[in-house]
Order: sequence, then structure tokens, then C-alpha cells
Amino acid sequence: MRRFGAVVLASIPLVLASAFATVDDAISRALEAIDPYVKEGYVVRDDQWGGDLGLKEQKAFPHTLFKGNDYWFCMGTDVDNARIAIHVYDSRGKLVEKTSWQKGRFAAAEVIAPATGTYYIVAEVNSSPQERTSWAMVYAYK
Amino acid sequence: MAKFCYTALVTALATATFGFAEAPPSRIDLSKFPATRLDDVVVPVPSEVFNVLDKLGTPNWKGELRPPDIKKRGARAQIALLLGSVIAEGFVAVEAADKERVKEIGREVLELARGIGVEKTVLSRTNAILTRADENNWVGVRRELDGALADVKKAMIELKDAQLAHLVSLGGWLRGTEVLTSIVGKSYSADGADLLNQPDLLRYFQQRLVDMSPRIRSNALVGRVQRGLDEISPLLNQKITPASVRRINEITGQIVRAIDTDGHA
Repeated sequence: MRRFGAVVLASIPLVLASAFATVDDAISRALEAIDPYVKEGYVVRDDQWGGDLGLKEQKAFPHTLFKGNDYWFCMGTDVDNARIAIHVYDSRGKLVEKTSWQKGRFAAAEVIAPATGTYYIVAEVNSSPQERTSWAMVYAYK
Repeated sequence: MAKFCYTALVTALATATFGFAEAPPSRIDLSKFPATRLDDVVVPVPSEVFNVLDKLGTPNWKGELRPPDIKKRGARAQIALLLGSVIAEGFVAVEAADKERVKEIGREVLELARGIGVEKTVLSRTNAILTRADENNWVGVRRELDGALADVKKAMIELKDAQLAHLVSLGGWLRGTEVLTSIVGKSYSADGADLLNQPDLLRYFQQRLVDMSPRIRSNALVGRVQRGLDEISPLLNQKITPASVRRINEITGQIVRAIDTDGHA
């Protein structure tokens, strides 16, 4: 997985303009998915994570969540007809999200951290017409 | 209540429109992800912690503020650590609703960013900090401080200086943890102490230091920080007690002072 703001700018040659478009589009989708929660008063972190995944491939990344905060993790992809998912597990691998939803290129999960500690945000591509599916994740909290 | 209703409505609409996901497994085997890279770890931004502190009561934030002193400049590593620490200080100033201190911090951030060649990156952020402070828009100031932290780190990575970017994050974490332990220590509660349950985050910072180039690791201040983290580690890997909160506060306080004075504290 990559942090787009950091790694992409540092490592991808500028000639890969189409790759940038893909990245930008995936981020746009993720931001689109989180927009309703921004209107609800959640603060979006000004950073994005993402990369590309094969079919049924999962990517987990650890994140310290704080008890008392309510988080929405939203994921998007630019690939038409792809179906993606995002879920949140605690450090023992137990599903802890309060709710989650998915629709094709968008997916999201809400977690109210029951305790401060390390949680795993797991992103997955359930189906896609492409071998590798680019995706992005953003999150918000309040 | 109105907010709750709105949340419920948004969620219900999302559910109705998008449909629930295929039911995820209630448990997963985390050993399936053994190769989680260090780059995959998400380091929380300071406002995530301060957001919780807001809900824990109204501590004496003015009493937590440090007097401004960024005159002692050393190597780029010290400036990076100091920059993170000063940005964290900005959050304390916001909690204290100290407009003048917030504005001073905005200027300090700009000055420190100049010291490591990323001034242009944060200029609009620091201007926004001054404007939002004048408007008493504390939520806006927080957002700009978070943004300044992210922008500085991105700029450093673009300059192929990711190591300094990690030091900025670490400086922020150290000052944030000093403040957090000070507040929790003055009015101990299980919920407050729970906020310190960050052993994996600490391990992440420790590993980042281990992975740094010999040149940075040989910096006396960086070595001081590394030893401090090693001291904190066992305290965060056990039940957090009032005594461990006090001890973490002492250690982080000493490191923050060492950062302020480039190791001459």
C-alpha cells in the first residue's frame, strides 16, 4: 500500500500521466464516499492511502484508534464495475465496526473504538474487470 | 439529538441506497498479513487525540502551555523534531483558546519550516492559522495545524528526506504525550489512561529510528530520543497506572526539553 501524497509524487515518473489520473480518480471516489459524513461534522484527515489489489486480495494496515472517537473509513476505486469492501478489526482479529456498506466503487465502515489501541483496516477487491484494481482510502473522525 | 437523527438518516440512506456489504467474517487471522510494512502503519494526527481530550473534561490548558523558545537551532534533525513539537504545542494553545500564542506558533512553524527548506509548503497554512486565530475559529486552526504537519511531511518526502518527516511526527507525538500524561496525571481516570495504550505506535517510532541512516542515528539528540523511547516502551506495554503516567510524563518532558535546547537541557 502507498500513501499517495508521499510515495506517488516521489517515485512515479511524470510520464505516467494516466497513472496519476487513476490515482486521482480513486481518491476522488473515496472523498465522494466520505462527503456525507463531512456534512455530519466529521473531520476528514488531509491524507490518503491506497494502492492496487488483485481480485480477492486484501490489504491490512494498522492504525491506533482512540476510545471516544467515532471513525468512518471510506474507500473508492476508479474501476467501473469493480466491487470493493473495507472493514475494521481489533488487534485480535475480531470485527469491531458498528456498520459498513458497499456499492460497487464505494465502500465504508464506521467504528466507535471500544478502547484505545491498534486496529486493522482491511481493504479488499471483491470483484473487478481488471487484473489489478487501484483504490484509495480516506478517513474522518469526530 | 438532532445530530444523532441526522447521522441515523445518513446511515439509513447510505444503507438503502448502497445496500449492506456482503457480511464480513466476524473474525480474521491477522497472521495472514505478516508482511505489513512499516509504511502501512497509519500515524494518527494530533487532533484525533485532542478530540478525545475535549470530551474528558476541561483541564487547565493554559497551565500546560510552554513559554515560546525556539532560538536554539541545531542540525536538521533537531529542527524536524522541534517542528513537530511546536505543531503539537499549537493544539495546546487552541485548547487554551490563547489567540496570541496560536499566532506565535504559526510564525514559529514558518520559521522552522524555513530552517529545513520547506517554508513555501507551509506558507498558506501558517497564514491560515493566523487568520483563523483572529476569527476565534479554533476548529479551523486545528485543521490548519494538522494540514501543516501533513504538508511538511509530504514536502520532505518529495525532497527525499523521509527520515526527517518521521522525526517531525515523532516530535509531535512526544510533546502530545507529555501533555496527555500531564493532564491524565492531574486527574487520573481509567478512560484518560486508556488514551496512552499506544504500544504499537511507539514500536513504530522505535523501528523508524533504528532504520535511519547512521548519519542521523549518530546525532546526539536523536540518540537521546531513542533512549527515551526505550525507557517508555515497558511502561506502555503494561497496565497504565498513575505511577507509570507520571514516569512517562517525566521522560517525555525531558526529551521535549532536550529537543528545545538541541540536547543541552
